[in-house]
Amino acid sequence: MTVLDNAVLGQQVAPQADPRDPQVRLQALFDDGTLRPLTAPHDRDDSGMLAGLGRVEGVPVVGFASDPRIQGGALGSAGCEVIVQAYDAALRERVPIVGLWHSGGARLREGVESLHGVGRIFAAMTRASGIVPQISVVLGPAAGGAAYGPALTDIVILSGDGRVFVTGPDVVRSVTGEDVDMARLGGPEPHSRRSGVVHMVTDTDAEAVAHARRLAALLGHQGTLRLRSVTDIDFGSLLPESTKRAYDVHPLLDGLLDGPAGTETGIVELHPKWAPNIVTALGRLGGRTVGVIANNPLRLGGCLDALSAEKAARFVRMCDAFGVPLVVVVDVPGYLPGLGQEWDGVVRRGAKLLHAFAEATVPRVTLVTRKAYGGAYIAMNSRALGATKVLAWPTAEVAVMGPVAAVRILHRRRLAEVPEDQRATVEAELAAEHQQLTGGLDRAKELGVIDQVISPDQTRTAIARAITEAGPARGAHSNIPL
Amino acid sequence: MAEIRAEMVANVWKVLVAEGDDVSDGDTLVILESMKMEIPILAEDAGTVGQLKVAEGDVVQEGDLIAVIE
Repeated sequence: MTVLDNAVLGQQVAPQADPRDPQVRLQALFDDGTLRPLTAPHDRDDSGMLAGLGRVEGVPVVGFASDPRIQGGALGSAGCEVIVQAYDAALRERVPIVGLWHSGGARLREGVESLHGVGRIFAAMTRASGIVPQISVVLGPAAGGAAYGPALTDIVILSGDGRVFVTGPDVVRSVTGEDVDMARLGGPEPHSRRSGVVHMVTDTDAEAVAHARRLAALLGHQGTLRLRSVTDIDFGSLLPESTKRAYDVHPLLDGLLDGPAGTETGIVELHPKWAPNIVTALGRLGGRTVGVIANNPLRLGGCLDALSAEKAARFVRMCDAFGVPLVVVVDVPGYLPGLGQEWDGVVRRGAKLLHAFAEATVPRVTLVTRKAYGGAYIAMNSRALGATKVLAWPTAEVAVMGPVAAVRILHRRRLAEVPEDQRATVEAELAAEHQQLTGGLDRAKELGVIDQVISPDQTRTAIARAITEAGPARGAHSNIPL
Repeated sequence: MAEIRAEMVANVWKVLVAEGDDVSDGDTLVILESMKMEIPILAEDAGTVGQLKVAEGDVVQEGDLIAVIE
């Protein structure tokens, strides 16, 4: 094993270098020539772990990487100590920390000593939770302790060859008899769609590291909202004419923030394929980092359900912990009812979203574009939960439920007496009457649950102004992986 | 081959493809009606509709097979 000093670490590694070398991986994470080791050179022995301080888009960031060439990157007590020291450094400097994982878990040969070391990593991560942003990139198999390490952090990125599981296929087969391969057990497909363990998946390591850089910069250097740089876009044509029609909310979000997804300033969506009926994304508005939460009517009609509430709750708490203002885009027909949801704990998990919004102190601006019905209206950062400002487009409907559904309950007997061929007409009449009585948007404004009805072509400036006027704030809590 | 399954309990409101049709990624196959919303079911890959398991007016349960794209 080569002994490295500062000067060597700062230089480009020769092209024939092993791509699994943690030094090569950390150099890819940091801006050219900025990597400085955090541990003394002699520590780079057989611990299989390297930690350094560098810069990402000029922002100081701590990084560490396991060495899969030494015992498969397994974590011994010395390697664990390197990670704990990296966390101490990140906390001391108040900078984001990025872990590059490729490790089979605790070292068997060290027995309980390695387990103790892995536990110390978990404690360090929890100590740092909500104080400095933590990002994990899984580049190879990450089992046991190496799986729970990333899981304790704020954002997990899984590369194409990355695998995350409690234990691999061989042990699974021997203890339960289940026959399953690594990819199906803990690869990108199950973790991006089914488990929600990882926030992003990429085909290549280079893309995974690029995402980590982008996120470290968004969270580590949030910038200042320059109101004058915010120009308006007319979103008026984005909604379908029929209020029953589903549509994809992504084009709206692309326009709402400074750039569309995939561009340098564009939004970065977290958990895009898991609980896709709600969108959680980071991006910039007027140059400042903001978090966006939006119902997506294209999936499950945009309903909130157990998973989407839990996904959004964790995102709200992360943004609040790091002082990232929230923009909440509401078009929600309600909480999804039914047997599956109740057994899935929609009440328990839905409560997490209520709690997350109600405790958040960061500026949080709600925009109701279309429907905001029932319990889901409350949950989507309503005035009652402490929204900084609630804006609505003229197309917004705020109610316990849709007018037709409401009159079917309120006038059930009367409607039952109406001949079937006239029922739709009577329903429509009653619905119009109901709208007038309950008051729609005007009544919501009177009550103060909506502050302002804005034209879609004023959306960006109205949101930016509300965030600016609120001033900075940051919640004082950790970010438990809900 | 990709199986497309219902994400929620719903009525099948419209069926827009037939077995043997070629579809592209993002094409609408079926429109479900649930929670008083029209919810399109989209192809997630390009291919041919190998099987179509629903007809207009059917009720699908969460997890029911709607179509297979080959």
